Amino acid sequence: MTSRARRNGRLGIALAVAIFAACLLLSLALGPVSLSPAKLVGYLTAGPGSGGPGGIIFWDIRLPRVLLAFIVGASLAVAGVILQDLFLNPLTDPYVTGVSSGAALGATFGIVLHLAPLPWMTLLALAGGFATLATVWVVARRRGRIDIYVLLLAGVTISYFVTAIISVMMIRAHEDMDAIIYWLLGSFNGRSWPEVEVALFALPFMVVPLFFAREMNILLQGEKRALELGVDVERAKRVLLFTAAALTAIAVSVSGVIGFVGLVVPHIVRLLVGPGHQRVLPIALLGGAAMMGIADLLSRTMLAPSEVPVGVVTTFVGAPLFVYLLRRRRSGS
Amino acid sequence: MTHVALKDVTFAYAERPVLRHLTFALERGEFVGIVGPNGSGKSTLIDLIDGLQKPSRGEVLVNDRPTGAYRRLEMAREVALVPQHFDLDFDLSVREVVEMGAYCRGKDPAQCGDAGLTLSRLGIAELAPRPFTELSGGERQLVVLAQALMQQAPLLLLDEPASALDVSHQLHLFDLLRELNRDGITVLCILHDLNLALHYFAKLLVLSEGEVAAFGPPDDVLRPEILEAVYGVRAYMHRHAGRTYLTFSPRLRGERRGCVHLVCGGGTGAGLMRELADAGYEVSAGVLNALDTDEETGRELGLQMAVEAPFSPVGDEAHADNLELMRAADLVIVTAVPVSHGNARNIDAAREVLAAGTPVWAHEGLLKNDFAGVTAGLADAGVEFFAGDAELLTAVREREARPQGRSATPV
Repeated sequence: MTSRARRNGRLGIALAVAIFAACLLLSLALGPVSLSPAKLVGYLTAGPGSGGPGGIIFWDIRLPRVLLAFIVGASLAVAGVILQDLFLNPLTDPYVTGVSSGAALGATFGIVLHLAPLPWMTLLALAGGFATLATVWVVARRRGRIDIYVLLLAGVTISYFVTAIISVMMIRAHEDMDAIIYWLLGSFNGRSWPEVEVALFALPFMVVPLFFAREMNILLQGEKRALELGVDVERAKRVLLFTAAALTAIAVSVSGVIGFVGLVVPHIVRLLVGPGHQRVLPIALLGGAAMMGIADLLSRTMLAPSEVPVGVVTTFVGAPLFVYLLRRRRSGS
Repeated sequence: MTHVALKDVTFAYAERPVLRHLTFALERGEFVGIVGPNGSGKSTLIDLIDGLQKPSRGEVLVNDRPTGAYRRLEMAREVALVPQHFDLDFDLSVREVVEMGAYCRGKDPAQCGDAGLTLSRLGIAELAPRPFTELSGGERQLVVLAQALMQQAPLLLLDEPASALDVSHQLHLFDLLRELNRDGITVLCILHDLNLALHYFAKLLVLSEGEVAAFGPPDDVLRPEILEAVYGVRAYMHRHAGRTYLTFSPRLRGERRGCVHLVCGGGTGAGLMRELADAGYEVSAGVLNALDTDEETGRELGLQMAVEAPFSPVGDEAHADNLELMRAADLVIVTAVPVSHGNARNIDAAREVLAAGTPVWAHEGLLKNDFAGVTAGLADAGVEFFAGDAELLTAVREREARPQGRSATPV
């Protein structure tokens, strides 16, 4: 790394931390009932169960919801970085592996069978996600190697297949159609501590790719060159694919299919700090969290008291930002 | 000590065999080039040595150990490969790309070598902060070489490392490879330029259709008959300024076209010799003095010639040889050769075959360079004159298309 890039990297991380903190503060403070920073500190230090209605809002509604949004955003962004670089394809997002569709199918079963969201719907969603991953994995495996292109195609194909099943289920169980559509669009509405507990399982998976930053950099030159330079490519692919799938499955199981964050955050980060993973991974993690936090904040305040689905917000915010950055970069270089 | 050994190695993609029964060994510290036509299996061979492909049959050994027994990380410390194609669509700096080469040396900077030093050794230190994607093809090739050098492996495999380099960088690269070799690194390098192969490498491996066609010192290996068999071209060896170099002509298709005899000397016939030989004519020449430029060219092209001793006038024996060659020819061409008393008999010989019915053509320059006064009246005798070599060649080509004169055989 050149010293300039290193400086940019440090600056980037510092900036990302600052934005992350600002977004966290805004998300906690704003809402139908706004809470001042002083109050936030008060609630935090007093602990749960105190501080009257404000404390209840903070501890039982606001904090878990914000934490969940941040964890889901970070998970999707990290999964997006991993998959875009493994597939060497800029249009990849965490959902191409089919894991999200599988999870959606699991959740749809839960809704149609009128099971409780927790633990059953979440468990079914996780099971659906991992079952899809296993299927795609088996299809793409040949002579001990995972063919990354077969995996991509198998993932896309299985997504369509599973989506078709969901459509059939929606038509058959039309009284549940609203619930299914609302779940598919993705939302943090009504989520609380149990969902956060599930989402916490994503944290170790966010750390894993940091240990593979060098391998991920080298893999940008393609699998063959990585082999030549001594990378155990199959091991790296196995670990990274599983990590991305786990992050996606966990995120989808607690929040539904929220689009755009996993696609756009890695790109924005690369445009700002370059493709080196020592920088991209931590900044994407913080950036994904911050973007999802702000999106959720907008989703619950824009048309309060009704909510705009958070997936709609991420797209409305992300798309113009992305186009702007692409244009700026082209005129700059 | 044997560094690399292939024992009866066969390799096939699906059913198509790429390499067949390959057996050869490299000693530690050897400097070997691989040449061979496109599709002869050169790149596959170095992939096999690097363990990226497994042989379908036979064994590939590096340090007496089968390549399949290496983990990738171990292999990267033993073998560095410079690939022919290298894609990177991400905006990494040159320094970052080069540093990736040290992956197999772990994270300790003391073990990893200095990317800046490696770049300056290749003469491209100034590229370090530039984005890799903005480099030219040649610069990229050098950067990838720098990346491979960061592996600090004792065996360096290169796949056409000079293909995108200008002549100065080419020479610099091969000098550098030789220097690395002197430091003890075994070098195995694929290249297409046979003259570079001839000059730089101690040993050459010629691959042809997946088999070893020849393996040994370049002078033994790049013989015209081997090159003709392997590449399907005619190859000529020339010696110039103390060096041997090769030139090539396309292989002839079908029958020979006819026989042309050249009366030339002092380099006035060398160009026509090559053009006519390449066009498929059987070319003879004479009388020439040994060591004359035209005589040397004719010898390199393997022409039949009547030759006299250096700096001697044409003697009876050479004159007789010359007449015999001329009589066998369908056409005699006299170049703008300076005529003196030493070679005036060649003009006499031309008159003689002209009288016997063989057409004689001449370059107009002949008349200007006549110091013996023997060319006057050639036009009256029926010699056709042309303005230059180009006109002569055109006429020869037209003559073939539309036979003329008294010669029944098309020339």
